[in-house]
Amino acid sequence: MKFLINPNRFNQISNIMLTPLIILSVIALTTGLVFAFYLSPNDYQQGSTVRIMYVHVPSAWLALLTFFIMTVYSIIGLAFKTPFSFIVNAAVAPIGATFTLICLITGSLWGKPMWGTWWVWDARLTSVAILFMLYLIIIFLKNSFTNDSLGEKITAIFIIVGSINLPIIKFSVDWWNTLHQPASISKLSSPSIDPSMMRPLIIMTIAFTLIALIIAIIRIKAEISERKLKN
Amino acid sequence: MHSVNPILALFYRELKISYRNFSDILSILMFFLLGILIFVFSIGPNTEIFNEIGIGVIWTLILLSNNLSLRKFYQNDFNDGSIILLHMSGLSYELIVLIKIMIIWIFLQLPFFIIIPLAAILLNIELPNVNLILISFLIGSPILTSIASISGSMNLLNQRNFAIGSVIIMILSIPIIIFSVGIINASEEIVRAQLQILIGILFFFLAITPWVSAACIKLAIQNK
Repeated sequence: MKFLINPNRFNQISNIMLTPLIILSVIALTTGLVFAFYLSPNDYQQGSTVRIMYVHVPSAWLALLTFFIMTVYSIIGLAFKTPFSFIVNAAVAPIGATFTLICLITGSLWGKPMWGTWWVWDARLTSVAILFMLYLIIIFLKNSFTNDSLGEKITAIFIIVGSINLPIIKFSVDWWNTLHQPASISKLSSPSIDPSMMRPLIIMTIAFTLIALIIAIIRIKAEISERKLKN
Repeated sequence: MHSVNPILALFYRELKISYRNFSDILSILMFFLLGILIFVFSIGPNTEIFNEIGIGVIWTLILLSNNLSLRKFYQNDFNDGSIILLHMSGLSYELIVLIKIMIIWIFLQLPFFIIIPLAAILLNIELPNVNLILISFLIGSPILTSIASISGSMNLLNQRNFAIGSVIIMILSIPIIIFSVGIINASEEIVRAQLQILIGILFFFLAITPWVSAACIKLAIQNK
């Protein structure tokens, strides 16, 4: 597990892993898209717009997962002074911001035909918008210091403080009575979603996670090389 | 003064500095009142609307006035190096942070207890609601001061992006505004629950702020 904190080991492992990951993600994305567009039924109420879900839910999941990973790496980085943590934070923050933006845009495209409005001030929507702004602050805060190593440490502290928002986003639909529906697949014992829709959703989630992982690996490698060049 | 307790000495020093800059405090109060006037001008003198949105307006302006205190925390002490001297006289950074929060709360937030009822009268808010605003402000304002302390210590060496400090304060203050305004707009049976959540947030921030701020100050001193 050393490759998770050691840049050299990470480079070695990622060189081996990158090609299989790309192949896997292509397979997962094609099967996922075929399932999403052709092999899954229309919803009896929502019709064809339900297919937006296959992009919306995976990107929401990644938006939260990325922040969680950044929080863990920030704690490790501040506690054990591992420079690799800050490399990961710098590389991964724009990915999280992008997926949050995708989640917000697909959500509002889905909301227009279903709820009749692009945007409502509902707990889930608002907290995801706040998550997007947290990502932007993380990116800006890192760049606002002339001293890079100070900037990334201060950013790590901010990430830890800002991670209070994560449970609020996750449970906002359960705590407050909102327009956004509660999670359908997290109840693994009795999911409230039909298997024919569950299958493409899970495949798409795997595909999105793999794609995010590939982008993250490439960005982390680029960040490592950039820092090696600077020193 | 000889052989004084360093905590009391720091307390006395902060009191003196704040007292000398008293016009600064009055300016923040003026900012608050002017903000309310601007809301009145932009919405129009319709008392019914104020009854609905007055509480939100007051809390928004409390939050914005809190942004103005951002640079008052550690910037001067950090620039002239006196924070290092304070630390060398035996005070930990965590304790300095706590004392700063207390002093700034006394000088910048306590005067709002006089000005909020005044603003509430101007906005035609009913008397029971004014009490609730004051209670929620009593619990919420130390949280706001703590958040300003976190943001102020984070941006000690920030020379490129001055607005980000205020943005950090705003984004961290969102839960406080939700629950403080929630107390007033909620139905009777959940007022208590909302208050307890707010008190929980208060204790949480009082617990983490000294460590977070002190960590940021230490980082800034190392990299100066």
